[in-house]
Amino acid sequence: MSKSNADASDGVHSNALSPQDGDQDETVSRRTFMANATLTIGGVVGLVLAVPIVGSLIPPKNAAAGSWAPLSAQELDELQKATSKPVKLTFTLKYSDAYLPEQSAEQYCWGIKVDPEKFRAARPDIFNQPGGKADVDYSVVNMGFVIFSPICPHLGCYYNWSEAQNRFMCPCHGSQYTFDGTHVAGPAPRGLDPLPFREQSGSAEVTWIVYQSNTPNRIVVSYQA
Amino acid sequence: MLNWIDKRTGFVSMTKDFLTEDVPGGASYWYVFGSATLFAMIVQIVTGIFLTFFYAPSAATAWESTRAIYLNPYTHFLLSVHYWGASAMIALVFLHLLQVLIFGAYKSPRELQWVVGVLLLLVTLVLGLTGYLLPWDMDAYFASQVSLNITGLAPIAGPFIQHIAQGGGGMGTETINRFFGLHVWLMPAALLALVGAHLTIFRHNGPAGPVVEDPRTLKPGRFWPDQMFMDGAFSFIVFVIIVFLAFAAPPYLDAKADPTKFFVPYPAWYFLSLFGLLGLVPPEIHVGPLTISLELIATIIVPTLFLLVVLLLPWLDRSRSRSFAARAGLLWATTIVIIGIVGLTIFGQVTTMIKQAAAPPSPPESVVLSQAEAATVPAGSSGSTAANPAGAKVFSTNCASCHGAQGTGVPGTFPPLAGNPVVTGDANKVIGIVLDGLHGSISVSGQTYNGMMPAWKGTLSNKDVADVVTYIRGSLGSNKASAVTEAQVAGFKP
Repeated sequence: MSKSNADASDGVHSNALSPQDGDQDETVSRRTFMANATLTIGGVVGLVLAVPIVGSLIPPKNAAAGSWAPLSAQELDELQKATSKPVKLTFTLKYSDAYLPEQSAEQYCWGIKVDPEKFRAARPDIFNQPGGKADVDYSVVNMGFVIFSPICPHLGCYYNWSEAQNRFMCPCHGSQYTFDGTHVAGPAPRGLDPLPFREQSGSAEVTWIVYQSNTPNRIVVSYQA
Repeated sequence: MLNWIDKRTGFVSMTKDFLTEDVPGGASYWYVFGSATLFAMIVQIVTGIFLTFFYAPSAATAWESTRAIYLNPYTHFLLSVHYWGASAMIALVFLHLLQVLIFGAYKSPRELQWVVGVLLLLVTLVLGLTGYLLPWDMDAYFASQVSLNITGLAPIAGPFIQHIAQGGGGMGTETINRFFGLHVWLMPAALLALVGAHLTIFRHNGPAGPVVEDPRTLKPGRFWPDQMFMDGAFSFIVFVIIVFLAFAAPPYLDAKADPTKFFVPYPAWYFLSLFGLLGLVPPEIHVGPLTISLELIATIIVPTLFLLVVLLLPWLDRSRSRSFAARAGLLWATTIVIIGIVGLTIFGQVTTMIKQAAAPPSPPESVVLSQAEAATVPAGSSGSTAANPAGAKVFSTNCASCHGAQGTGVPGTFPPLAGNPVVTGDANKVIGIVLDGLHGSISVSGQTYNGMMPAWKGTLSNKDVADVVTYIRGSLGSNKASAVTEAQVAGFKP
């Protein structure tokens, strides 16, 4: 029964990849068709699987904005009294991570007390838009404070305040920033990144933003940890 | 260019060698099943690899990550193809086995190729069994519970194997992790090794060809492109069917596994015949002083003996001739076995459907997919159940999956019941919502919710409704509204 499909003219089969080896024309064109059809089938199957695979790998867009987290009143008090020294402000960051239940982590940021005009003059890397506007869509100075993200804009390490040097120093690659976040040494492409910050019922709240590292401009990457 | 590569690697000539193969008697659509099984395996490997990009094996994430896979259309498609691809692969393995059986192609010198093929069937079934658990929904949990407990029935090593497979005394995170390791690593590795052996032995002996008196008279046909084209055409039909089913009948995700709830699992179709066999026999019979466990016979002994017969077939069927006439007895036996398996499968399917019809229905998938973290609220933390245990039970069984175990709801979808003024307000209105359901956007305490509440009339008795309304009005959170009687529910007017 399986003989029904046997090719009567088929006696030679030396070169498997090229069907046109001395067979009659009709057989040759039939073989070429079968070879091409088989390869086409493979291509179609590959494409039908490749489209959803590539599509699935593209991550969904990030959530529109982060939530506000309250800062400790005691640390804010400290900041109020601070003169030329930054204050570490701790808060609980709530964030979502894919399908996991809501996550929370202890996080901190750096607060400095500033004169708005002096700060504006010191940080042209922030106020670089037409009309002296900031390159972030929130007001940078609130309640006489600026809050910095604790992440070094170079490659994402957490920097420290060095009392001795009177500078913010990043331990990873040596970027240095003055009290007001101006980049003064090391490989970082911009000064420290401000975070949104607002007064709320006598205390204050901060929102977490992660900016693209190592770019001269501030590009929002996510509102997550 | 090809020449340059070939001189340095030999890849091109190797491919040519691989594709150059005599097909005795010419190419035939009878020979497509092995290649199509290989094709289905490749589809399973490709979709499976990319599903591991999205799946996380642990009791806290298995169901949640599967749910996320369902919610993304691309991953949902990959999962659906993987689901139907598994069925296709198992069906094709059986067809391939049957074709080889009918053609007598397992006879000398191809005995070991047959043995490797039967092992491949076993590995494929283990892949189906281990994959079934991974979504960690109610069905995955209880179907795997049944198969693990059947394993434990086996004499001597049974309990030990069950203990090892589960990773402990019961099913949990360890079980998911072990099944995941088996499903994505050990079994696929075994599968590839065995396929390699199967193909190498195949090339060593060549195809068996059609059933004829003297095979030397057969004219050789070509593997490429003649047989390859037929293999490709059939594989493509298989692929089209898989893709069609993936769109038309994607798999269903049930609620997250909850060992404390009642559920009737349904086995995968390829295990239905075993399930039917189990359903057919009483658990045990008494012969004089002896108690014989028919359960053990049906679930372990009969399948094991059957497998041994299949495995040793090349040595049981010793006739030299492959002709149908000389093997009439075997072919009749095969026919009877197939009729038996099909009959048991139908019986297993019917009994499953009868049991499921009697069991509480699974929630609609839209509800399962939108229920967010409700399932992660620890059980037993719901409001004061002591005052109204009946209402608490109705609530935890039917309502908690959407409104949360403590009635806190899901933002944007399902309103909270605790602290909700509608719930503690007019009792008649609450009864109406429970009986007739609720559609469209509603506003509670300034928040908008846009979920769908099913009508419970017909599912819950008047007493159930009275109990649960009393419970949500009086026991959830700080709710302290009046109780509702069965008569109030019976006399409900919109």
